Amino acid sequence: MVDTLLNIAMMQSDTLVTRAKEGDQSAQGKLVQLWYKRIYNFGYKFFMDHDLAMEVSQKTFISMCKNLPGLQDNARFKSWLYKIAVNYCREEIRKKKGDRSLSFDVVWNRDAEDSPKWESTAHRFDNPESQLHRTELADILQQALSELNAEQREVVIMKEYEGLKFREIAEVLNISENTVKSRMYYGLDGLRKILDRKNINKDTIGYEL
Amino acid sequence: MSYKPNENDLMAYLYGELEGSEKEAMDKYLFEHPEARIELERLQQMRSMLGHVKDKEVIAPPIFVGESKQRFIWNAPYLKTIVSIAASLLLIILVGKLSGMRIQYQESELRISFGGNQVGNDNVAAAAQPTLASLSSEEVQAMINSSLDKNNMAMQSSWKETQQQLDASITKNLQQNSNKIDKLVRDASAASQDQIRQFVSGMQTENLQLVKNYFKLSADEQKQYIESLLVDFSKYLQQQRNDDLQLVQTRLNSIEKNTDVFKQETEQILSSIITTVGTKNSIGTTN
Repeated sequence: MVDTLLNIAMMQSDTLVTRAKEGDQSAQGKLVQLWYKRIYNFGYKFFMDHDLAMEVSQKTFISMCKNLPGLQDNARFKSWLYKIAVNYCREEIRKKKGDRSLSFDVVWNRDAEDSPKWESTAHRFDNPESQLHRTELADILQQALSELNAEQREVVIMKEYEGLKFREIAEVLNISENTVKSRMYYGLDGLRKILDRKNINKDTIGYEL
Repeated sequence: MSYKPNENDLMAYLYGELEGSEKEAMDKYLFEHPEARIELERLQQMRSMLGHVKDKEVIAPPIFVGESKQRFIWNAPYLKTIVSIAASLLLIILVGKLSGMRIQYQESELRISFGGNQVGNDNVAAAAQPTLASLSSEEVQAMINSSLDKNNMAMQSSWKETQQQLDASITKNLQQNSNKIDKLVRDASAASQDQIRQFVSGMQTENLQLVKNYFKLSADEQKQYIESLLVDFSKYLQQQRNDDLQLVQTRLNSIEKNTDVFKQETEQILSSIITTVGTKNSIGTTN
């Protein structure tokens, strides 16, 4: 699903990018519409925070619109865009280190809220039990992802959820393909260890689902 | 058994990015090594688990590049530094002005002072002193006083003279002007009395003539009008009489006709009666 969508997006992107480079505002707007969800989800998985993800994606697209004429090769648009996003993500991490204030999400006890989280999702009319398990599992996985170190997290998200090729990730991060692969390997390994620690493995999931 | 894949190859295989001979070698290796197969399986399970995290739906907010560009220029670092330097210079100038600071460099002597006007006066006094050193201050004072007195005297005398001359000329002018005005007024009043008399008498005669003429004209008109009225009235009466006469004549004619008709009718009736009586008598006789 993600692959086919991305392929369509890529096909449209090529012509859109050339028009957007010439300063066509509607083409730029379409590019934003096309890629916003991807960049937002990249940011969300990276930070596990809606506000930060929104901020990073907005900055990314503002920068995209401004620097698009400087893009040499249209075929590299995708990796170029992710490069911008990754840079803004790293900037946010640096900011967060210097920032002593707490995020509202940390202070706010979501469990104490009256309505369960799944009420706000689109699948709320499904079997409630399986739905709850699914969202819980997604939360646990998301939590595990955020426990990885940033280098491995970047690679895992780009490979697993954004469907970039190893070559493209290497381009985005400006490192060798082998380094990307080894980060991916250790990232997956690390995730497995984290999930093991939480006593979640193939059997428990298979049983629950 | 020479091929021994490393973790990088495993990753490439896992995501289907291994091709050709490398892929074949990996397949073969996995077939021969069950522990590698288990490792790969575990990685694949990990992948399928990760697949449970779905994308979040999000609506792209409108992004205005123009606005952000403007902000970018405003936040440009060089502009900031220039503006800050200008502001600090302005502040220094303002503080210097308010505190009355004065910096002077004169004859290899640098002076920095606050409330500097006094310094200037001191310098002027200091410069003036050496030239007046030959005269004592009292002498100078006396000289100034004498010259001032002379000047005052001359001024006062000239002032008095001019004042007297002015007074004299003003009184003369006043007298001449008043005489002239009196004469003019007298002439004007005398002339006006005669003129009024003449004007009034003229007016009276004119009025008399006007009234006479008016009466004459109106009398003539009345005569003519009454005459015409009488003529018209007599004409009208004549006409009326004629009409009446005609009317009487026609009436008389009609009465005459009527009597004639009446006569004839009675004659006929009489004759008919006579005839019927005659016939009855004849029948009676025959019976």
